[in-house]
Amino acid sequence: MSESRTKWWGGRLLHIHIAPAAAFEMEELEEANLVAGRGIEGDRYFFGTGTYSPKPDAREVTLFEMEVLAALARNDPPVQSGPIKLEPGDHRRNLTVQGVPLHHLVGKRFRVGATVLIGGRLNYPCKYLEELLGLPLYLPLYNRSGLNCRIEKGGIIRRGDPVEPLDDR
Amino acid sequence: MTARIIMKMNVCGVRAPTDTVRVYTFSHPRRPHLPRPTPGSHVDLHLPNGQIRQYSLCGDPDDDAVYQIAVKREDQGRGASRWIHENLRTGCTIPLSAPRNNFPLAEEDAARHIFIAGGIGITPILPMTIHLARRGIPFELHYCAHARRTAPFLPLLNEICGPQRLSTYFSDAGDQPASRLDVEQLLKSVTPGTHVYCCGPQRLTQAFRTVAANWPERYVHCEVFKPTLDENFVPEPFDVKIASTGEVLRIPASKSALEVLRAHGVALPSSCELGVCGACECRYREGTVIHRDSVLDIAARQDRMMLCVSRARVSVTLDL
Repeated sequence: MSESRTKWWGGRLLHIHIAPAAAFEMEELEEANLVAGRGIEGDRYFFGTGTYSPKPDAREVTLFEMEVLAALARNDPPVQSGPIKLEPGDHRRNLTVQGVPLHHLVGKRFRVGATVLIGGRLNYPCKYLEELLGLPLYLPLYNRSGLNCRIEKGGIIRRGDPVEPLDDR
Repeated sequence: MTARIIMKMNVCGVRAPTDTVRVYTFSHPRRPHLPRPTPGSHVDLHLPNGQIRQYSLCGDPDDDAVYQIAVKREDQGRGASRWIHENLRTGCTIPLSAPRNNFPLAEEDAARHIFIAGGIGITPILPMTIHLARRGIPFELHYCAHARRTAPFLPLLNEICGPQRLSTYFSDAGDQPASRLDVEQLLKSVTPGTHVYCCGPQRLTQAFRTVAANWPERYVHCEVFKPTLDENFVPEPFDVKIASTGEVLRIPASKSALEVLRAHGVALPSSCELGVCGACECRYREGTVIHRDSVLDIAARQDRMMLCVSRARVSVTLDL
């Protein structure tokens, strides 16, 4: 019914990162296999070995906005001593996306390439990340620390895949 | 205690300065600059069998392109050093944590520093001497080893320290008479305000601790990579209360608080699980803690404990 309507947003998957176990540096992938109800093949939350794996949550795959990295790099808002240069692998979320309004996707279904994700809860910044990177990130990432998602339909995703809404706004 | 990133590093160099010591140099496949260590830091090496071992960084502390560790082969040990000597070669990849420092230099102005190192215990002290020599800060190094040929880094230390700052002691000095460091005699001459550091075999660190027992704690620095043995300690069960939830967990005599918390889904950082690395430090609010670690000083023990080895009388409330 909404197929004819113009999609109100559309973005792109820029980076895919996984870490084999808690605290391990993230590794970049060109493509990844998303397994419904579980996670990204090879990632610590797929294996249940992530820092937060024992906590109940939908954390099969996590997303982060490229726009936030750009904002940190220009010290916007200026809540820290200066610009923070963070690489896409540093924020420790799996998928870095551009043009995807994560805050509006809580409880919504959306497509990443051939897969379908459901927005869970908004991620909040943690002291753990701050310690791992040795950077003051808690405040700078407040309210923009990404989105934890469940995987409704698995499949292969690739860098550059389109990200699109499925539910009506 | 701070969580640290674990990086898969490449072994880019191996050399053998003595028969039993190998020096390994690690670089990162993508990062030209590594998290910067301070002199006295150590890293965790994650072995393929799941063992995690701490090794002091012994390279130049101002070089952030590589990390360097020295591993002495201990055939009577828990197997890690043997595995490293037999398997770790140039080109291998192995996970290494970012550095942590439980043995830092006292940085205040006008501090004087005396270092006592025994054998492979020279590793954390070597970067300290480089750091101080470069800044023209006075120090002395007293280096004990079995023999000249078994003392790693001796030529480099000669270069850094020169004969005025370096004194060596060899129990087997070949055709020269054997010399032994008299820790008591050495510390008698120390002027107030001098920081004294010791790292080496337990015999040496124990002698040092005995002599320095009545000194103000802030001037006495000792690095321990083996737990202090207390054969008479009998663990008893106790209760751990989690402050945030009110949940109470029973810790049986046969298990550590860390193990029980982990089994109940409380994810906590940990590493050596011997009370020497400092990874599982946790704040507590109420209770009488039986501190059994080798990391926390008296001030820190007022509200912090190491969950891997320390226990409590009856119960303790953890800030979790």
